[in-house]
Amino acid sequence: MKKTAIDRRQFIKITSLSSGGLAIGFMLPGLPALAIDANDCEFFQPNAYIKIDKQGKVIVYYSKQESGQGVDTALPMIVAEELDADFRDVKAEIAPYGSVPGAEHDTGGSQSVLGMYDSLRKAGAVAKAMLISAAAAVWKVNPASCAADTGEVVNTITMQRIKYGELVCDAARLPVPKEVTLKNPKDFKLIGKAEKRSGLKDMLTGKTKYGLDLKVPGMVYAVAERCPVLGGTLVSVDDSAAKRVPGVLKVVSYKGTGAPMQVRDGVAVIATTTWAAIKARKLLNITWDEGKKNNESTEQLFRTFAGKAKDAPKIEVYKKGDVSKYNGKNELVAEYAQPFLAHATMEPVNFIASVKDDGCELWGGLQLPDWAVNTVATVSGIKKEKIKVNLALMGGAFGRRLHFEFAIEAVKIAQQFDKPVMLVWERHDDTQFSPYRPANYHMLKASTDEKGNITSWQHHVLGTPIAFMTEGPDTKNIGEMDGADHGFCYAIPNIKTGYTPVDFNINRGWLRSVDICVNTFPVESFIDEIALKLKKDPLQFRLSLLENRADFKTGEGPGALTQSPARIAAVLKLAAEKIGWSSARKPNHYIGLATHSFIFAKSYAAHAIEIEMLEPKKFRIVKVVAAIDCGVVINPDGLLNQMEGGLAFGLTQALKGEITITNSRVNQDGYFSYELLRYDEMPPVEIHIIDSKEDPGGVGEVGLSTVAPALCNALAAAGSRPRNLPIRNEGYSWV
Amino acid sequence: MPVFKLNVNNKEYTVETESDMPLLWVLRDLLDLTGTKYGCGVASCGACTVIMDGNAVYACQRTVSTCVNKKIITIEGLSEDGSHPVQKAWQKAGVPQCGYCQPGQMMAAAALLGKNKKPSEELINETMSENLCRCGTYHRIKEAIHMAIEEINK
Repeated sequence: MKKTAIDRRQFIKITSLSSGGLAIGFMLPGLPALAIDANDCEFFQPNAYIKIDKQGKVIVYYSKQESGQGVDTALPMIVAEELDADFRDVKAEIAPYGSVPGAEHDTGGSQSVLGMYDSLRKAGAVAKAMLISAAAAVWKVNPASCAADTGEVVNTITMQRIKYGELVCDAARLPVPKEVTLKNPKDFKLIGKAEKRSGLKDMLTGKTKYGLDLKVPGMVYAVAERCPVLGGTLVSVDDSAAKRVPGVLKVVSYKGTGAPMQVRDGVAVIATTTWAAIKARKLLNITWDEGKKNNESTEQLFRTFAGKAKDAPKIEVYKKGDVSKYNGKNELVAEYAQPFLAHATMEPVNFIASVKDDGCELWGGLQLPDWAVNTVATVSGIKKEKIKVNLALMGGAFGRRLHFEFAIEAVKIAQQFDKPVMLVWERHDDTQFSPYRPANYHMLKASTDEKGNITSWQHHVLGTPIAFMTEGPDTKNIGEMDGADHGFCYAIPNIKTGYTPVDFNINRGWLRSVDICVNTFPVESFIDEIALKLKKDPLQFRLSLLENRADFKTGEGPGALTQSPARIAAVLKLAAEKIGWSSARKPNHYIGLATHSFIFAKSYAAHAIEIEMLEPKKFRIVKVVAAIDCGVVINPDGLLNQMEGGLAFGLTQALKGEITITNSRVNQDGYFSYELLRYDEMPPVEIHIIDSKEDPGGVGEVGLSTVAPALCNALAAAGSRPRNLPIRNEGYSWV
Repeated sequence: MPVFKLNVNNKEYTVETESDMPLLWVLRDLLDLTGTKYGCGVASCGACTVIMDGNAVYACQRTVSTCVNKKIITIEGLSEDGSHPVQKAWQKAGVPQCGYCQPGQMMAAAALLGKNKKPSEELINETMSENLCRCGTYHRIKEAIHMAIEEINK
């Protein structure tokens, strides 16, 4: 599939189309398509996901990319459930690039489990059916009188048993059945049972290899100096001092790309060790032409936002009823702002490229490998068929590795050197040159009547469009309205939402929870503000606008999503109940609530946060309660991990996360200035899961968006509401 | 280039390198001990924590010339087989998400417990707050440290 431009919706669509169709039996890992030698039966490999050896060891190949979200455990659990494997015999391995259709490797949008659930169940059931048929043939009985149980086939009449490993050869010769029966979910033994992460022991002994740990024979290292201003160009470089550093092999320069990925002009030092390259880089004497957009600042950007917020939105996004007749009538108005943010993965991005003759081989972590390969082919002139990709485990992603400018850079550098080159981004590179979560600003207006009902709701979102990364500064693509557009959950008769793009010369990208996070903060803050203004209970007020509203579609056609206000209400109620919302508060204790749906991953989550005020602007988080409804839970342990992680991510954003820009340069340069939540700042948390039989939803991003508004709503209950994140900028401190 | 003799995980290594190369890159690039992670290079994240003569140190902050005649332990040498009480506790609590920072977290915890079998909560907080985890595994780290403390005081 050729993708020259992509936005998130497109990406989700592509992902779900590619992986939702129950099509299995692609190329087998390491083998050309369908070239199975019936006499060579060391393994039983009925499809791209399963390989069983004669000892009964099962390898499950997971086609989604692992970056800490636990697909290496949840996806094998789905296969093993239908296969009736002994999960202790199951080993998870990355599905080699190309062993499934390219887009199936795409990993993002919390789509992995919900996108793969049906096809992996079928993959497991197919293998099981073939093993049962093989055993039935051995016993000369009808397969219907056989059953599978924990890695063995059982003859239900004689109660004889044969291990899967002993059936490998026979099963491999059977035709792959077209139809199989899936289990009734009530018979699940593994799905829903907490399993620890796959490969845990290797992680805990330092054996696990992330992208940065890979060594390719003959490999050398590179670090790069990039133009400090996006769009600027290299004028000249004096590399004489750099070249004198022992270990330095070559200094090369490369051109930037513009969209997609916005690679900057750069100068790379290639050396025998990372350290030599780092040292020499500091000695480069480079002259850049910064171009005309070299004096922009976030300070000015937010002033521009505030000025334009008062005008009508440039682009109307969603309209229901007629808000105009309520303008100025008993109106509440509030403005909210959120900064640029960086992903700050613990493993800085890195990539290995080896260019030889007319082909190349790549190694590294990529969330969208297919798009990366297509783009590398276009940029480098190397034919796609001549590019081999080796996918690597990622030390965190959070959307960072959906972008692949580092892969393009690595290829551009390796094209100028005759050995494999590992490009390492130093920490300050990662903080200063990332695709940032767009800065955004919100003007909200609501009118209420004398009975205390909301009669109109207006939401003007202003932002630096994310599609700058994919399409450049002239993008018309609005990809940042989820949570505020047609899926807006509260039952209000008259609604108008719109978007105003503001140009700004810094790259943008997708960060965990993307626009749902961007819009949940203002929406869940403002609904709380209205409740307080009307002197209504913020819980009951929300419930009155959610509980009686039927599920609805966000639009027409196959791309339409279903919104479920009742499920949004249910998680809110659960969180409120578990934190003791209706009980009397201790002195100086306050509780804030927020709820939402992560609509395209079919999951719903709410947070309730209790704080104690110590001084007028100093607080302590006493306790956090999260409630989640993600349908059938595959691995409860993984779900808890994602919810705990979402809390830490959300608190970082609420309290201190901020990228600021002066003279078109990022001011922060690492973890000292772009701070993350620390160990002693993690508050106590309880996580409650709604028992559901709905199809599984995604959980990677659902535990994040309601953290900041719940905290700000608690602070508002205590007397003053922060409307700008991070709240540190409003003078708040915490212990 | 000068030659240095290093004792890493009770093994003697000889490396030829410039004297200002940080131990981090000696371990990773020269000795292929990649369990010690690069996170920042400037002592801000703790991902490269190793144990030197019983103390937790940032490998990115120690030049190779200052590592001679020291006993250096990395995650690969914390135990033969993952059986150090800290590793066992990390396994039992299921701490890692992406896992990248965990070698540094475990080395920090192991150094702390190596010196103090019953550290106070304040000391644990102070020590572990030096190690960042972007995935947010802090609760499980806390749980694991307490399991390890229980184990070593049995």
